[in-house]
Amino acid sequence: MSDGTTYSAAPHAQSAEHGAGVDPEKIEVDYGYVNDTVLKMLEPPKGGWFALLALCLVLVAIGAVSFGWQLLTGMGAAGIAHPIAWGVYITNFVFWVGIAHSGTLISAVLYLFRARFRMPIYRLAEAMTVFAVMTAGLFPLIHVGRPWFAYWLMPYPNERLLWPNFRSPLLWDVFAVSTYFTVSAVFFIVGLIPDVAVARDAAKTKIKKALYTVTSLGWNGNHKAWHHYEEAYLIFAALATPLVISVHSVVSWDFAMGNVPGWHATIFPPYFVAGAIFSGVAMVMTLMIPLRKIFHLEGLVRKEHFDAMSKLIMLTSGIVSYAYITEFYTAWWSNNIYERYQFWFRPFGEFAPAFWGMTFCNCIAPLSLWYKPLRTNIAFLFVLSIVINIGMWLERFNIIFTSLSREFLPAAWGGYNFSWVEFGITIGAFGWFGMWMTLFIKFFPAVAITEIKMILPPPVRDKKRLGHH
Amino acid sequence: MKGNRVVVGVFGYLDDAIAAVEAAKQEGLEYKVYSPVPNHHLDDATSTDRGPVRFISGIGAVTGLTAGFALAIMCSLDYPLRTSAKAIVSVPGFVVIGYECTILFGAIATLTALVLLCGLPNVLRNAGYDPRFSRDKFGVLIGCDSRKTEEVKNRLLEIGAEEVEVEDGL
Repeated sequence: MSDGTTYSAAPHAQSAEHGAGVDPEKIEVDYGYVNDTVLKMLEPPKGGWFALLALCLVLVAIGAVSFGWQLLTGMGAAGIAHPIAWGVYITNFVFWVGIAHSGTLISAVLYLFRARFRMPIYRLAEAMTVFAVMTAGLFPLIHVGRPWFAYWLMPYPNERLLWPNFRSPLLWDVFAVSTYFTVSAVFFIVGLIPDVAVARDAAKTKIKKALYTVTSLGWNGNHKAWHHYEEAYLIFAALATPLVISVHSVVSWDFAMGNVPGWHATIFPPYFVAGAIFSGVAMVMTLMIPLRKIFHLEGLVRKEHFDAMSKLIMLTSGIVSYAYITEFYTAWWSNNIYERYQFWFRPFGEFAPAFWGMTFCNCIAPLSLWYKPLRTNIAFLFVLSIVINIGMWLERFNIIFTSLSREFLPAAWGGYNFSWVEFGITIGAFGWFGMWMTLFIKFFPAVAITEIKMILPPPVRDKKRLGHH
Repeated sequence: MKGNRVVVGVFGYLDDAIAAVEAAKQEGLEYKVYSPVPNHHLDDATSTDRGPVRFISGIGAVTGLTAGFALAIMCSLDYPLRTSAKAIVSVPGFVVIGYECTILFGAIATLTALVLLCGLPNVLRNAGYDPRFSRDKFGVLIGCDSRKTEEVKNRLLEIGAEEVEVEDGL
C-alpha cells in the first residue's frame, strides 16, 4: 500500500497567509500553516453549522420519542417477535460497532506501521470511534426492553448471590465493548491534549482560553513531557491494536457461538473484523469529504490520502467478498441441509433484496476503485462511501434476519413486521452520532496538528549539525 | 531548576535549540526545552533513560490479566450454574475476560503513568512558557544565578536565539 502523504515542505519559508491563489494540493506545508488551517475550524460557527446541529437534534428527538413510546407500550411496539428476536436493534448495534473499528485501526494499527497517510485523518477517525461506540452502546439497552436493569449485566455483589454467566458471549460483549470504549476514549483524549494546548495558545477570548487551558491540562510540550508522551502513545497503540481485533471478534461470537444455520462458522471473526474496517474507512470518507470542502483542508487532506484510503477499501472489500463466497462454499461442502437451505434462502428468499443490495454495495461497487482516476475523484468517493455503508448495514441485516427467520424447524419459521418505532430509533441514532460529531468539530481540533507536524521536516539551519544525534 | 534566574531563549531552528542544550550541559546548568512537536534529535540530546512508562503499563496489564481471570473464576464458583454442559471453571471462555481486562488495566496504568510523569494537570505553573512554543518556535530555558545571566544570555544569542529574556527563578 502506498505510504500516502509526502507534503513538500518549506520550513520557515512561508507566512500564515501562504497558499493564497496556489493549488491547495501543491501548497508547501510548514508548522505555521498546519496551525492556521486547523485552528480556523474553531472559529465561531455560522448558520450552516447551527442548521446541521438543529437537524441532528430533530433526529435525536424523533429517536427519543420513538424510544419513549416503546417504553410506555412495551416491546410489542417494535417489530421484534418470534422468530426474529434480535431484529433491527442488534443490526444497528453491530453496524455502529463496526463503524467504530476503523478509527482504532487508523489511529493505532497504522501508527505502529508508521503509515504516514493516517496523520490528517486519524483524529476524525478516533472521534468517530468514540461517538460510534456511544451510539452502539445504546442499542443493547434499547433492545433489552427494561434499560433501567442494564446494570444486571455487570458483576456486582448482590443480596441474591447471583453472578452473571461468564461463559456467555453476551457477557464477553459487555466486557469487550466497555473496554473498547474506555481505551478508545483514553487514546483519543491523550492524542488531543497537545493540540488543545495549541488551541489554548491561539485563543482570542477569555472563555476559550479558560476552556482550552483546563482541557489541555496545562500541557506545555517540555522535553520530559514529550519523552513520556511518545513512550505512552506507543504503548496505547500497542494495547489498542489487539483490542480492535478482539472486540469485533467477540461481537462475531455473539452469532458464531450459537448453533444457528448461517451463524455457526469459524470464519466469522476475521470476516467481521475486515467488514468493520471496510465500513469504518468508508464512514471516515463520508465525514471527511464535506469537512475538507467546508473548512478548506485541501492542503492537509490531499487526494493521495483518499487514494490510500481507497486502497484500504479495495483490500477489505476483497476480504469481505471472499468471506461471502466462503460461506456459500462451506454450506454446500458441509452437505448439511439446514446450512444449504439457509444459503439458498438468502439470495432467493423473502429477504433477497437485502442480499443482492449487500452484494452490489460491498462486492461490486468497490471494484470501481481498481480504476485509478476514481480513487482520487472526491465526488465519486463520497457517493461510494455512502453506498458501502448502506451495504454494510444490509450485511448485518442479512446475517440476523435470514438466519433467525429460517432455523431448523419449519414450524418455527417466520417473517418480520418492521415498525415505525424501529425506524425512528434508527434515524435517531444517526442524529445522536451526528450531534456529537458536529459539536466536536467546532470545539476541538478535528485534524491532528501535532501528528502532521511530526511528519514534516523540522526547521533547521544546517542539517549536518543534527547528524550526531 | 537551580539558580534564582531563568534565561529563556526563543529559537526558530531545531539545530540551534539543540546546540543551546549542549552548551548548557557543558556548563553544568539545568535546562528545559519547549517544543511544538516531539523530535528524536531533541530527545537524544535531552534524555538519557527510557522512563518507567512501559514498566508501569506492564504492571497494569499483569494485574488486569489476574483480575479478569480471578473475577470470572470466583464468580462462577460462587454461583455454580452449569450451562451448555460446560465446566463451571471454563478457562477457554474466561480467556476473553482476562484478555479484555489485561488491555483495560494496562491502558489505565499507562494513562496514570503519563499524567504523573508529565506533572499534569499543570494549569498554573508554566513559567518561561511562550505561546509560540506550540506553533513553530523552540524554547530553551536555562537556570542560573543572577551573576551569570548576562553570560548565558550572550551565549544563547551567539548560538542563534531570536530573542532572549531573563525571568525570576522557577
